[in-house]
Amino acid sequence: MPDHANASTCRATVDSVLTTLEVRPVHSIHGVIPGTATLVVADDTVEVNAAERDRTLLLAPAELTRATGWELRPDGLCRGQSCVPVRDPDVLLVDGAVDLRAVAEALHQPFAFEPGPAIAVLGDSAMAVSEQMASLRAPGFTLPDLDGNAVSLSDFVGRKKLLLAWSSW
Amino acid sequence: MLIAIALDEDLDAILHWARDDPPSSLRYPLLVDRDLRVAELYGILNVPTSVWIDEEDNIVRPPALAWADDAYREFHGIDSSVHREALRRWVVDGIAPLNGDAIRDQQWLSTPELQAGRAERRLAVHLLRDGRPDAANRHFERAIELAPEDWTIQRGSMPLRGEDPFGPAFFAFYQRWEAAGRPGYGA
Repeated sequence: MPDHANASTCRATVDSVLTTLEVRPVHSIHGVIPGTATLVVADDTVEVNAAERDRTLLLAPAELTRATGWELRPDGLCRGQSCVPVRDPDVLLVDGAVDLRAVAEALHQPFAFEPGPAIAVLGDSAMAVSEQMASLRAPGFTLPDLDGNAVSLSDFVGRKKLLLAWSSW
Repeated sequence: MLIAIALDEDLDAILHWARDDPPSSLRYPLLVDRDLRVAELYGILNVPTSVWIDEEDNIVRPPALAWADDAYREFHGIDSSVHREALRRWVVDGIAPLNGDAIRDQQWLSTPELQAGRAERRLAVHLLRDGRPDAANRHFERAIELAPEDWTIQRGSMPLRGEDPFGPAFFAFYQRWEAAGRPGYGA
């Protein structure tokens, strides 16, 4: 079990979110990448251009930023006020495109990938999740009820709340 | 304020359990978390699990198993009245059960392996929704290897892998989990 000291020293932002990508494989990559991709970032879905290569996905740097908020800079990756230094940013690049698996590694976020249909998941980092938990602040969420109405934790501010997670299994 | 969250992919399975039978005067939101996002963000590893959140959205009791009654007590060994009485003290008398450090001591923080397992599970579910059960099963298996402490992955995926969550596959998982020292519990 990780300790809280590690959690509190992490750089990743708490709102680091899940990213899911679907792409049509393409093979030629020179700056602008052909091929349509669908990205799900937390609860949002975005169309992007990306290409499948080996065990990873390649994105134009601008597409990475649009899809995930992370921007490639000479000294690392930045999103908003939060920057993660990368000693050699060239390891994140293949023919001028961003290697998403390498980006995930640099951000300590898990990367799950299925070639063929080319679907990838960029998950939350353990540090970000653990830091959020150790803060003792309740993460906000919005979920549908059985009728499809969106309900948010923030709808009940000012009241004591008992979350009860259950399931059919 | 009770907020029920179903960690289920299958809406019909939820509806089967969510019938108001016998009719109750208690009304509360029943939300559906198909992507297990609340489970991931709060560190919920099994069901039934409760989390207590105060008026200012601070967590005053971290995720912990909370049975409504003692129907399965012989199996899990948890006395449901302990949670119920502590809850009454907090709601009625305003006495929180734990201070900040004690809350943190009871949290099961995440690990890179658990997060990798969650990403694999999310990919598997996505592949399943995309009509690719074989690829989905490979990623479910990877998720299970990576996150042995997480019942929402291990047991929660059983209906999606064609396994009975109350059958032999569950008992095999339970024995593995117990032999490993019941990871994720009593943190």
